[in-house]
Amino acid sequence: MIKIKAKDVDVFYGKKQALYNISLDIEENQVTALIGPSGCGKSTFLRCLNRMNDVIDICNVKGEILINDFNINDKSCDVVRLREKIGMVFQKPNPFPKTLYENVSYGPTIHGMAQSKQEMDEIVETSLKKAALWEEVKDRLHEPGTGLSGGQQQRLCIARAISVRPEVILMDEPCSALDPIATAQIEELIDELKKEHTIIIVTHSMAQAARVSQNTGFFHLGHLIEHGSTDKIFKNPDNTKTQDYITGRFG
Amino acid sequence: MNLILFTFIVLLGFTSYYFGRKKAYTIQSTKKRLTALPQFYGYYLAIWCAIPAFIIFSLWAIFEPTIVKLLVLSDYSNQGYLDDELNLIYEKTKALSRGQFTGEITPFIEASAEKYLSLRSIAQSSKAVIVLSIIIASVAYAYKRISSNSRTREPVEKFLNAVLFTASLAAILTTVGIVFSLIFQTIDFFKVIPLFDFVFGTHWYPAKAFVRDSSEALDPTMYSDTFGAVPIFAGTFFIAFIAMCVAIPIGLMSGIYLAEYASTKVRQYAKPLIEILAGIPTVVYGFFAALTVGPFLKELGTSMGLEVSAESALAAGGVMGIMIIPFISSLSDDVITSVPQSLRDGSYAMGATKSETIKRVVFPAALPGIVGSILLGVSRAIGETMIVVMASGLAANLTFNPLESTSTITAQIVVILIGDQAFGDPKTQAAFALGMSLFLVTLCLNIVALRVVKKYREKYE
Repeated sequence: MIKIKAKDVDVFYGKKQALYNISLDIEENQVTALIGPSGCGKSTFLRCLNRMNDVIDICNVKGEILINDFNINDKSCDVVRLREKIGMVFQKPNPFPKTLYENVSYGPTIHGMAQSKQEMDEIVETSLKKAALWEEVKDRLHEPGTGLSGGQQQRLCIARAISVRPEVILMDEPCSALDPIATAQIEELIDELKKEHTIIIVTHSMAQAARVSQNTGFFHLGHLIEHGSTDKIFKNPDNTKTQDYITGRFG
Repeated sequence: MNLILFTFIVLLGFTSYYFGRKKAYTIQSTKKRLTALPQFYGYYLAIWCAIPAFIIFSLWAIFEPTIVKLLVLSDYSNQGYLDDELNLIYEKTKALSRGQFTGEITPFIEASAEKYLSLRSIAQSSKAVIVLSIIIASVAYAYKRISSNSRTREPVEKFLNAVLFTASLAAILTTVGIVFSLIFQTIDFFKVIPLFDFVFGTHWYPAKAFVRDSSEALDPTMYSDTFGAVPIFAGTFFIAFIAMCVAIPIGLMSGIYLAEYASTKVRQYAKPLIEILAGIPTVVYGFFAALTVGPFLKELGTSMGLEVSAESALAAGGVMGIMIIPFISSLSDDVITSVPQSLRDGSYAMGATKSETIKRVVFPAALPGIVGSILLGVSRAIGETMIVVMASGLAANLTFNPLESTSTITAQIVVILIGDQAFGDPKTQAAFALGMSLFLVTLCLNIVALRVVKKYREKYE
């Protein structure tokens, strides 16, 4: 089933066009990887999906992005509700300079999701368990989140993102600042999370894309060159550029 | 004479720089590898040329007058004069040698004046000779060393290190010196006025201490009830409190606006404009407070049936608050801007609005810096002088009514020290005691500020 449908999306930074005519369908409860060389626009596209580009003054997004058949670029779209449904994990772990508990309870608090302290405790516990962090941190929930290791911080950010039970999770190179072991943990986690969430991951590592994703889109210079099932893109791509990139001839 | 010698040393220093460098090029042209870049050879020679000469020069300037005086007065040494009389004779001698002496010229003094003049001229010429020979010796030594291509980089670097160390030492020693002079004068003050009376007394009227006839002996009992500092401490903190009531909300809010809401263009113009406020001399704020705000408040109060003094604490505190706004605004703007964008992104991505993000993420992360900027503002408010002198009256009333006039530590120091003063008088020493307490208060504030910033800094990344 199709969860997100992007139609003719153009993105401009001031006068410079960053994305040209992107049309891409994203399957529900699957992992979609966006790959491509640096500066090709994959992160920009990812940020269109939860309207994070609104934060950048000079950024201008055109075209339709339908999530559950609702156009999020429409004026009637409530960005707060949208971002509640579409969580995001960033390249560099960015826990708030607060305690672990406060980090995870941040989303539920601002969306008024818990009526009591007890409910909040439950949300925090389940989110941390889903992010495979609970066992490591359950005794120090009230210590600062910035005291964790890099991999733990990133899992804390994932716990923070899933605390509001989003339908979609966007991940912008979530492992690029982590060591191989932490990366493996996150990849395992992504596999687990796709049962309940639709996941879109931007990655520089083709091996990672091949390992975690079911679908892959290849971006180059602001164009979506090719997209389809990961198997097909990696084994038998239609476009020679995709072929060249995947075999490491450029990029 | 001194100036010529000084210029000469400086010029020689520059010349030796060029000679040193030239020597390095000559060494280089013989295909030898230099031990440092050519300019190091130049610096090395210049340092050896100028520094020993300057050291001798300054030692001479320090010791010459004493030695000359000693020699001149040695003629009078066994005639039973008192030290004061000897000093007087020496002053007369010097005046006569300059041709400015108007009193009766005795043969003794005339002889001394001649001796003085000859000693001076000997001193001058021997100084020139010694300095020049030192230069020649040290330059010869250094030139020999660079000719043999020995190391020059390390000595030059060491010398720079020493210069920078001396500069910071000068700053530190000045501070220590000021603190010590405060301490000794304060101790003298507390020998006359009991510490208890100063700290807990509620009546401040230092003018009373000045009324006494200076020929009378000091009588401590007459000062009881004169140097009770409670009213001016209270006034200081009260006016600082009013100032911070104005400065903290406005400064903080404008800082947040500039950092988070203002567009780049607005920020580009607004920030320098706010910082102009910080560049206005406080004396201008002072007469703004005294001539505009004070009378305005008085009229406003009268029209509402309130008794308002023309020199009210409110006027001084309010204007002082305006003066402090740019410090808090500008500093908190800097602190808020330096909170990483990734934290804001994290919050926005959770669906938080701008104000929620600021309130829950950005502001807490920036808090240590903001507290630091506020404490800095408080110490400025406590140390501010001109505005209170002009706008808040000089009578030390013990009051917490913002519409009455009150006085501060700084204003009282001004009152005490303008005009004639006698050193060693309790009234003058009271200024040192006040300065000491002011210093202690701001010191404590700074220590607290540093502690706060340090404690919370680790939380941040």
